Amino acid sequence: MSSTLASVPAPAPWVVAKFGGTSVATRARWEAIQRIAAAHRARGRRVLIVVSALSGVTDLLKAIAETRGDEARCREAQVGIVERHHALHRALELPTRNALDGWLARLDQLIADPRRGSGALDWQAEVFALGELMSSTLGAAFLTARGLPTRWLDARDYLRAVPLANQGAWARYLSASVPAAPDPALPGALADLGEVFITQGFIARNDGGETVLLGRGGSDTSAGCFGALLKAECVEIWTDVPGMFSANPRVVPEARLLARLGYEEAQEIATTGAKVLHPRSLGPLRRAGVPLVIKDTNRPHLAGTEIRAAAADAAPCVKAISMRKGVTLVSMETVGMWQQVGFLADVFAEFKRHGLSVDLIGSAETNVTVSLDPSENLVDSDVLSALATDLAKICRVKVIAPCAAITLVGRGMRSLLHKLSGVLAEFGALDVHMISQSSNNLNLTFVVDEALADELVPRLHALLIRADALRVEDGAVFGPSWRELAEDGASAPQETWWRRERAALLRLAGEESPRYVYSLDTVRAQARALMNLFRLPPGEGGRRPGEGSGIVDRWHYALKANPHPAILRALDEEGFAFECVSPGEIAALRATLPQLPSERILFTPNFAPREEYAAALAQGVRVTVDALHPLAHWGELFAGREIHLRVDLGIGRGHHDKVRTGGDTSKFGLALDQLDAFRALARTHHVRIVGLHAHAGSGILDAGHWRSVYLQLAALAEGFRRVESLNIGGGLGVPSRPDEQPLDLAALGAGLAEVKRAYPQFALWMEPGRFLVADAGVLLARVTQVKRKGFVNYVGIDAGMNSLIRPALYEAWHAIVNLSRLDWPAGEMVQVVGPICETGDVLGANRRLPECHEGDVILIAQAGAYGAVMASRYNLREPAGEIVLP
Amino acid sequence: MSLSDPRTAHAFRFVRRDYADGVASLVYAFDDGPELIERIVFPDAPMPVPERAAAFEAALDLLHLIAGVSYYKAGVPAEIRVESSALDAETAAFLDALYLHGLGEFAYHNKLDLRGRIRFPAPLQAEGRHAFLPPLQGEGRHAFLPPLQGEGRGGDGVRAAVSDTDTIPTQTLPLKGRASGQHRTLVPIGGGKDSLVSVEILKSAGEDATAVWIGNSPLIAACAERTGLPRLNIGRELSPVLFEYNKLGAYNGHIPVTAINSAILVVAAILYGFDAIAFSNERSASSATLEYDGQPVNHQWSKGWDFERDFHALLKSRVAADLDYYSLLRPLSELAVAERFARSARYDDVFSSCNRNFRILGPKPADRWCGQCPKCHFVFLALAPFMPKPRLLAIFGRNLLDDIALAPAFDALMEYRDHKPFECVGEGRESRAAMAALIQRAEWREDALVARFADEIAPQLAADAPALAELLQPEGPHQIPVRLRGYLDATR
Repeated sequence: MSSTLASVPAPAPWVVAKFGGTSVATRARWEAIQRIAAAHRARGRRVLIVVSALSGVTDLLKAIAETRGDEARCREAQVGIVERHHALHRALELPTRNALDGWLARLDQLIADPRRGSGALDWQAEVFALGELMSSTLGAAFLTARGLPTRWLDARDYLRAVPLANQGAWARYLSASVPAAPDPALPGALADLGEVFITQGFIARNDGGETVLLGRGGSDTSAGCFGALLKAECVEIWTDVPGMFSANPRVVPEARLLARLGYEEAQEIATTGAKVLHPRSLGPLRRAGVPLVIKDTNRPHLAGTEIRAAAADAAPCVKAISMRKGVTLVSMETVGMWQQVGFLADVFAEFKRHGLSVDLIGSAETNVTVSLDPSENLVDSDVLSALATDLAKICRVKVIAPCAAITLVGRGMRSLLHKLSGVLAEFGALDVHMISQSSNNLNLTFVVDEALADELVPRLHALLIRADALRVEDGAVFGPSWRELAEDGASAPQETWWRRERAALLRLAGEESPRYVYSLDTVRAQARALMNLFRLPPGEGGRRPGEGSGIVDRWHYALKANPHPAILRALDEEGFAFECVSPGEIAALRATLPQLPSERILFTPNFAPREEYAAALAQGVRVTVDALHPLAHWGELFAGREIHLRVDLGIGRGHHDKVRTGGDTSKFGLALDQLDAFRALARTHHVRIVGLHAHAGSGILDAGHWRSVYLQLAALAEGFRRVESLNIGGGLGVPSRPDEQPLDLAALGAGLAEVKRAYPQFALWMEPGRFLVADAGVLLARVTQVKRKGFVNYVGIDAGMNSLIRPALYEAWHAIVNLSRLDWPAGEMVQVVGPICETGDVLGANRRLPECHEGDVILIAQAGAYGAVMASRYNLREPAGEIVLP
Repeated sequence: MSLSDPRTAHAFRFVRRDYADGVASLVYAFDDGPELIERIVFPDAPMPVPERAAAFEAALDLLHLIAGVSYYKAGVPAEIRVESSALDAETAAFLDALYLHGLGEFAYHNKLDLRGRIRFPAPLQAEGRHAFLPPLQGEGRHAFLPPLQGEGRGGDGVRAAVSDTDTIPTQTLPLKGRASGQHRTLVPIGGGKDSLVSVEILKSAGEDATAVWIGNSPLIAACAERTGLPRLNIGRELSPVLFEYNKLGAYNGHIPVTAINSAILVVAAILYGFDAIAFSNERSASSATLEYDGQPVNHQWSKGWDFERDFHALLKSRVAADLDYYSLLRPLSELAVAERFARSARYDDVFSSCNRNFRILGPKPADRWCGQCPKCHFVFLALAPFMPKPRLLAIFGRNLLDDIALAPAFDALMEYRDHKPFECVGEGRESRAAMAALIQRAEWREDALVARFADEIAPQLAADAPALAELLQPEGPHQIPVRLRGYLDATR
């Protein structure tokens, strides 16, 4: 195929393409390399391919380098290396093996070399270098044999290592530095030799002509150096991921691909957590002004991440949130640091003496705190103890661990502070050990307890998006999310019921506006999804007769979400019991369902007066108590009764401060340290605690949450003698924003089943509310007026916060569409507001709707929960009425 | 059948026990109430070998009698009726002691006095009747026990001391390879540090050991897998009727589960052809948690020395003379076990001694260590002197000694101002010695609870309080086979 191609002109631009260990390990991967190189050549580029050793080979070479006297282990590793390369050689169907066998013979010589006994560094470097020398040799032969003439270069002839001041012998040989700047003569000299070249990553030569290595991530560094030497048009790093992300996608599936980054930002992200690129590769490229692109070998059509000089006028923006775990803080306190000459020098001398490298530094008048990155050394040896002992001679030292460093990265961080209030609030309840912000204005780092980090990072990522600090709408900077890439081409979100019923809804809005409309089919569908949650195989799980067939033994509908009689009847038919929080709710329930047995009603009030408990007990309703007060002061009321106890497990979850119901600052539940006192009161009054209950918030989309609550309650319940049921609450989230993912019901069921197998003696209860009804209701309203003020467009509708208060109260986000002009192209950004005399009467901020006209029907989605039931007559305006879709 | 409250029952009945196809069924009842059937499932069980049939039947009888404690305690009726087998005086006395002491904490919490109430029916042999009841007060109870480096006659000495009714012939367990000195040991795994220390000792001694555990626990399964030993997982299903009884107000509370597990493993040993069962109970398991109405109450009585000694003796005389039952860690303090555990990082990311989370396996430290229970607190403290701080913090995922809110919990461990909690934790002096070691360490000294100990508690301690090194010395009675004793040397 190559013979028909025109040759590339001498001054043609260069592309350096680097491929890692897995990208060179199989024939299929070499075919991909061939396609990529041939495509560049076809575009008139000269190509330099930089390769790593076959995956796993460096570890085998390491085994040889470290065996010293262990002959058997050394030979075993050698056999492994020979077999790997012979196998690939066979797969590549190459005619001759001479070149490869030459390197393998060299390996044999090096193993017999007397320097092996001492593990001499120059000898180790030669051993390690063989991995890249062999992979590039195989590659050159394969590409040439396939019709893409490829010239093999020895990287050591081009990359010259220079020793740094203070650089030890180990680093000079095994982690050397190569100062690479554009060499104007090199492109021309190489152009005389050919068009496509292949060379090795990771290796270079020193002034004495010896082989040296570039350390961890050395192949990236080599690619960067060659890119700079050649002043290439572009350096491509081909890997198994689509590029750099705004967070670690394993922790934050919503992390967005970063389409474009400045060198400094990319270096900061790579340094603070991302593994995809070694930060050392960027230095030479930045100085030479050569852009670098990270590309996915499996999906070469994706644009990847492009790293180049940032545009001077680019707006400041958070680009990523990264996290490092296993961080240890050393806090050093002195009474007289002020004007104490040399204190810092003394302190840091100790770190140097013990071979520990300091990362973050924070200092105050009398304290200096530093962070140590995780290392095997810290865990396996007593180095920290020895350091602390020496430091203790000059200051008071405290070791704080295990910590995680969470870093926000982006240019102009200090000018973003005003946008971070919601983000910073997330740290409010946490113990932040240290905050660090460097003068390069690229980062803001918080050091917190490690146990918090995994949950914190996804929340911070979401909050950064919500705060418009991580501006994911900017397509020039942000690409698709990891999840979207994983689902690549998955079907569009499911059609909603209100799209199907559009005609009926427009008719209903024409009769009366504003108006809530409910779909009972949707309520029933949600109820059935829960009822079927994780059906256990027969005989497992201690099923009690007459109760639900899924993993949850009894579902309660928390009717505060929406007590509409039709909904109550539908859920009763679906097999739900009911949870009430007031006598009014009990009365409404009884009025709608007069036949409902009392024991299917759970009364869970909070700070209710004595009479309410008395009335509920008299009716035979199950009662939940959540404080000492009722038993301490009204013990006789509960004498001989069965009660359920709501505890506060000390964690608050949910989408907004006001809907978090766990933690000391929440008014719900009994604190765990009062449990013994509660039980003593219960014994005194012969009260039987038959159920434990916890509910830690609402709108939770993390399926693991309930497993954790269940597990904690079950562990607590084991200490009780009469507990039969564990009520792990509700709070099942319903995604509202387009970037949120629905609760994974399968994962929820599996998590609950796992706990149930361990604690089959307890019945499992849950009490969702919003999950059942939110999507089943919409609020219809009509456009009253439109207005423009400056750059802000307002669309006024006849429903306000007196009908739907969630946006004002919880900053809740409801999807809003113009039902009269459904699927018309979106117009300008608008604020959807109501007629109430309150600044906060905004139902939706910054929405893109088709141009709205007076009389258009506006639909506010997900209004089935906490909508009509929270309505008021504020301003003496009647709130929206309710109707069930016929 | 309608159920009635077991607390109103007149008699608890041992109805029958069966074995078929790897499943032992243990049947009990209150009066004429429904049968309570517990099932023990032995996976891939071989056919019981004829030569061992007598031993197997005796082991099943003993299991039936011991496992009954889970059900008996629901009503604690006045009469105990054994319909399934004929009891001899020695066995009856053993069961009296097991039920009385094993239900000690249960009785304390339920405000019951079981003394004189528990009487297993037996032929009248008044002298032997109370042979197994140890003196209530601790002094002198170990007087007859041999030292660790003795002549290896521990078991014999014990049996001579307690068994005076040897009228039933012992049953021999023939084992292949026994002559060549090849032993096969079952080592029960609990997911905590203790049994993993035993595993490593048995491995270093080159013993043919199999890791065994009872019930469904992903965490224990993960630990067992990490041992690299062959594995055996025995199933146990409680009678669901017990849950119904609990609803009716049955008594509930702590039972001597180690006794039940021991009896299950005796059946397993005979069935699968093992000649030793190596538990991992340490010295401090023998000390009482508190004293109540003149009676010592020990949360972990069936992990204690008295039970081990008596159960071993009963096995030798009634089940199989050549089946060894011992605790490999018996002469070790909790601290000594912790020190041994710290020697290897093999189990760091799988083990858990936490009582709240131990049934469930999770990838994060918080999934395995709740950080709130006395077990978490004690194990953290016990390991702290023996491993690098970052390693310990990586195991727990947090620093419990820097949380001032836990001061009362650690005070309880140190028996400072409070009694010892009802949990399997070490002695107060062990916690104090560990804390005293930490105040000498610069990397710990400033942590909230260590600093508090230095300021407030250490000055009150007696000058002759034992130092850490002293508490690491093996001491006290045990019945470890001679061939393994050298491996318990405290030095590294």
